[in-house]
Amino acid sequence: MNVFSKLKQSNYQIAIVSVFLAIILASWKPHVLIEGIQRACLYAVIALPMALILGIVGIINLAHGEYMMLGAYFAYFLNVYTGMDPLLAVFPALLAFFLIGIVSYKAIIKYVLDAPELNQLLLTFGLAMVIEQLANLVWTSRPIKLPLKYVSSSATIGSFTFGTYEFIYVGGAMIVLIGLQLFLKRTNTGQAALAVGQNPRGAKLVGIHVDRTYLFIFSLSIALVGAIGAVFMTRHSIFPLVGAPFTMKSFCLIAMAGIGNLMGILWCSLILGLAENFVLSFRGYAGWADILFFALIVLVIMVRSHQRQVK
Amino acid sequence: MRPKLFVLLMAVVFVASLSVTYEVKAAEPIKLGAILPLADITGDQAAKAMKVAVDEINKSGGLLGRKVELIVVDDEMKPEKGAAAVEKLVTVDKVDVLVGGMSSGVHLGQIPIMKKYEKVTVWIGAASSRCEQAVGADATWYFHLHPWDYQQGASYLEGWTAINKKSPQVKIDKWFNAYEEGAFGTAGFKAGQALYKDWLTPGGKPHLEGESFKSAALGGGDYRTVLRHAQETKPDIFLWTGYDADALPIMEQAKEIGFAPPIFIGSPPGWPATFGKSPLAEAVTLYGMWAPSIKEVSKVSKHFWDAYIKEVKQEPATYFAPLGYTNIYFVADGIKKAKTLDKPALIKALQETKYVSPIGETLTIKPSTIIKNQGFTKQKILQWQKGQQQVIWPFEFSTSQLSYPFPSWQKR
Amino acid sequence: MRISRYFLYIAILIILLTLPFYTGVYFLNVMDIILIYIALALSWDMLLRSGQISFGVAGLFGVGGYAAVLLNLNTGMNPLISIVMGGLAAGILAWLVGMAVLQLRGMYFAIVTLALAEIFRVIIRNLPDLTGGPEGTVLPSAIFAGNSTKTYWLAIAVAVVSVIASELFRRTRIHFALTSIRNDEIVAKSSGIDVFKYLVFIFVITSAIQGMTGGAYAHIYGFVSPEGSFSVDFTLLPIAMALLGGMHSTWGPVVGAVVLGVVSEFLKLQIPYGHLLVYGLIIVITILFFPQGILGTVGQRLKNRQRLRGSP
Repeated sequence: MNVFSKLKQSNYQIAIVSVFLAIILASWKPHVLIEGIQRACLYAVIALPMALILGIVGIINLAHGEYMMLGAYFAYFLNVYTGMDPLLAVFPALLAFFLIGIVSYKAIIKYVLDAPELNQLLLTFGLAMVIEQLANLVWTSRPIKLPLKYVSSSATIGSFTFGTYEFIYVGGAMIVLIGLQLFLKRTNTGQAALAVGQNPRGAKLVGIHVDRTYLFIFSLSIALVGAIGAVFMTRHSIFPLVGAPFTMKSFCLIAMAGIGNLMGILWCSLILGLAENFVLSFRGYAGWADILFFALIVLVIMVRSHQRQVK
Repeated sequence: MRPKLFVLLMAVVFVASLSVTYEVKAAEPIKLGAILPLADITGDQAAKAMKVAVDEINKSGGLLGRKVELIVVDDEMKPEKGAAAVEKLVTVDKVDVLVGGMSSGVHLGQIPIMKKYEKVTVWIGAASSRCEQAVGADATWYFHLHPWDYQQGASYLEGWTAINKKSPQVKIDKWFNAYEEGAFGTAGFKAGQALYKDWLTPGGKPHLEGESFKSAALGGGDYRTVLRHAQETKPDIFLWTGYDADALPIMEQAKEIGFAPPIFIGSPPGWPATFGKSPLAEAVTLYGMWAPSIKEVSKVSKHFWDAYIKEVKQEPATYFAPLGYTNIYFVADGIKKAKTLDKPALIKALQETKYVSPIGETLTIKPSTIIKNQGFTKQKILQWQKGQQQVIWPFEFSTSQLSYPFPSWQKR
Repeated sequence: MRISRYFLYIAILIILLTLPFYTGVYFLNVMDIILIYIALALSWDMLLRSGQISFGVAGLFGVGGYAAVLLNLNTGMNPLISIVMGGLAAGILAWLVGMAVLQLRGMYFAIVTLALAEIFRVIIRNLPDLTGGPEGTVLPSAIFAGNSTKTYWLAIAVAVVSVIASELFRRTRIHFALTSIRNDEIVAKSSGIDVFKYLVFIFVITSAIQGMTGGAYAHIYGFVSPEGSFSVDFTLLPIAMALLGGMHSTWGPVVGAVVLGVVSEFLKLQIPYGHLLVYGLIIVITILFFPQGILGTVGQRLKNRQRLRGSP
C-alpha cells in the first residue's frame, strides 16, 4: 500500500486530523492539551476495568466506583498505620482487592449471571448503596486527604509551566490498556476469557471453564480498580460518595467506545477530556463544559450506531 | 422465605408503621423536634450536640419542672423528606418547638409546610436568602439563627475593612472568587457581587471577578484552569467557595501552577480532618462561624467542647456542633424566660433572650432584611497557623494576628 | 371475573380517595411521595415493555417541573393547567429528541437518555434569567396553599393517570406490538409493525407522564432547582421499584413503589443511622431471592401451584 491509499483510509484520516489539531492546541492553548490528556487518562484508567467486566462477564457493575473508593480508603489506612506511600500501596491493594473481588463474585455476583440484564443492574446498584452506606457509617462523610509533597510537582519549559504529577494517570492508563491487551491476546487465560466473552456456550463446549474465567476476570477488574483507588487518593479528597460520579462517567465512556473496544475507551476519554478543558479555558463558559461533555457522548454514540447500521 | 409470606410481612410492616405513627405520646415532657441530615457530618454532629444540651438541661431539673424530649428526624438532604419530617413532628409527635436545619434546598421545601402550622421554629440552617424571601415578613413564629448569605458577605466586608485599617499594608482592592457551580457557590458569589458595589476600600471601589468550577464533592476536582484564570488577574485576595473535599486539592494545584496571592481564602462549610497537618495549609485564611481555638477565649465554648467530647467521644469537627448546642439552649432560655409554652409569650421571650453561645458570641435577636427574628449575623475571619485555626477578626475574639502575605510555595 | 376485578379497583380507589378523612397529615405526605414514585416507576416500566431502558426519567421530570413553574409564574397560568402543560412540554421535547435517538438500542439508548437528562439540567442551570440559575425558582405559594388533602388528591390523580395509561398499554393492540418488539424486533418488523413509530409514541407518552409528575411535584413542594428537580434519585429509585415489584406489569411497579416507599420512611424512624444501608440490603436480598420481583415471583408460584393441582 502506498501513501495515498493509506491516506484514503478513514483511520489514517482521523489520525492526521488529530495530530494537526493537537499541534494547533499545543501552540494556542497548551494547558488544555496537557491537562486534557491527563484528565482523560484518569477517566480512561477508571473505565477500563469496568469495560473488562462488561465485555467478558457481561455485567454492568454499578458498584465500580465504590470499589475504587474502598481502594482509596485502603491506601489511606495503610499509610496511617504503616506509613506506606499510597503509590506503593498499589501492590498490596491489587492483592487485597483481588481477594475482595473473589468474595464479591462468589457471594453475590455469581447468582445473577443468568438473570436478565436489569436484575444485574439493580443488584450492583443495591450493592453500591450498601458499600456507600457502610463506608459512611464507619468513616463518616468527612473528606480525608493525605498531604503529599510530590502531588504538586511541576516542570517549566522556558516560560511555560505545567503540572507533571497527573501524568501518572497517563502512565497508569497506558499500563492498564497495554497490559490488558497483551493479557487478552497473548496469554492462554486471556484468550480463553475473550472466547468466553464472545460465546460462553461455545467456550464451554471446547472445555474452557467458564465460571472460573468469570471469577478471574471479575476479581482482576476489582483488583485493578482498587489499586487505581490508591493512586486516586493521592490527588483527590476521599469520602464515601466519591466513587459514584466516576461509575457514571465510566459507563458513558464504555457506551461511547462500544462494548469490547478497550482502545476506543482511551480515544473517547481523550475527546471528552480535551473538549472539557477546551471549554473551561474560556472565561465565563465554565458552566457549558458539562453540556459539551454530554453532547459529545450522545454524538459519538449516534455516529457509531449509524456506522454500524450502514455496514 | 416464601414470597407470599414476604408480601404478607410487608403488609404487616405497612400497617404496623401506621399504628406507630399514630401513637400519641403523653404530653408530659416538653418536646423539641429537630430535622437534620444525619448522613452528613454537619447534621450528625448537630444532632449529637443537641442531645448533649438536652441531657445537661434534664440533669439540672428540666424546664418549667418538666423533662425535655428531643425527637430527631433525618431529612435525607431531600426537600420532600424534609417536608414530611415537619408534618410528622408537628402532627404526629406534636412537638412544641421545631429546631435544626442545614441545607437551604431542603428548607425551601419545608417552608410552605411550616407556614401551615406556624409552630415556633428556631432554625440553624439555610443561608440562602431565597429562604428568607420564601418565609416572608409576617412569620413572627420563625427564628433564624444562621447568618444569611448577604449577612455573611457584609461581615467579611466589615472584617477586611477593619483589618486593612489596622494594618494598611494588607491590600483588599482586587478580588477573585472561584465558586462551585451549584446553588451554594453561586449564591455566595452573587451576594458578594451585590455587596462589593457599595463597598469603599482604600483603593476606591474594589474590583471583583469570579468564575465557577465543579466541586470535588460532585465529581469535579480539577481547579487548574480556574486557578490559572485567577492568577492572570493578579488579585490581592483569592477566595474559593466550595466544599471540604476541595480544600487540600485546591492548595496542591495552586502550588502546582505557582499561584500564591497575598491572601488565599477558603470558604467551605467545613474542613477535612488532616488539613492543618499539610504545610500547604499555613496562612490559608478561612471564613467560619467557629473554630476549636475559641475554647481558649470563651468559658462557654470550653464547657461545650469538654461536654461534647465526654458524651460523644469525638471532637466537634464542624461549626454545626456548637450551633446545635446553641439551638437547644437558646430555646430553653426562651422557655424559661416566658415561663410558658404559650406561643405569643414564647415568641416575645425568645426575641428578648440573650444567650452567650459556644460559637463565640452572644446570640441576640434583631430583624434582618425581611424577617423579624434573626440571630447570628456575623461570620469570623480566621487563619490556619501552624495547623490550628486562629481567629483573626472580630478583634475581641482574636487569638492571633493575620499572617501576611501568604508565603510562597518554596518557603514551606 | 372481569366485573369483580373492576369492583376491586374502584373499592381501592375509593379507600385511597377518602383516606384524608381518617388519617393524619403526615401519612398523606408520605403517600404523596409514594404516589409520585408510582407514576415514575410505571411510566419507566411502560417504555421497558418495548425493550428500551431509559436512564433519563429525572430529565423529563425536571423539565416538566420547570415548565409548570415557569408558566405559572410568568403567565399566571392556573397551576393545575400548568402541570398538564409541563407534561406537554416534556412530551414535545421527548418527541424531538426521540426522533433522533430512538434508533439506538439497549445500553446505548440508556446512556444517551442519561446524557440528555444531564444536558437538560445544565442548560436550565445556565439560564439564570429564565430559570433562576443554580439556585432555582421558588413559587410564592405551594399549590392549594399547601392544603394536604388537595395535594394528596393531586398526587392520586397523577398516579391514576399513569395506572390507566399502563393498563391501556396492556389491554390494547399496543401490548402485542410492545411485546413483539421487545422479543424480536426483526420479526416484529416483518409482521408489519412500524417499530420506530411505536417507540416514538411510547417514549412521548411516558415522557409526558414523567413531565406531568414533575410539574405536580414542583407545585406540591413549591420550588424547582437544578440539583433538586433533576436529582438522580428520580431515575434510580423508580427503576429499583419497578424491578423489585415486578417489571412488565401495572401492579408490579405499584407494589415496588409502595414497599420501597413505606420501608424507606418506616426504617428511617426506627433506625435513624443506617436506614439507607438496610434499604440497599433489601434491594440486594430481594433481587437475589426473587429475581422476578415480588409480584413476578408470587405470580409464578401461584401458577406452579395451579399446575400441580391440575385445576383450570
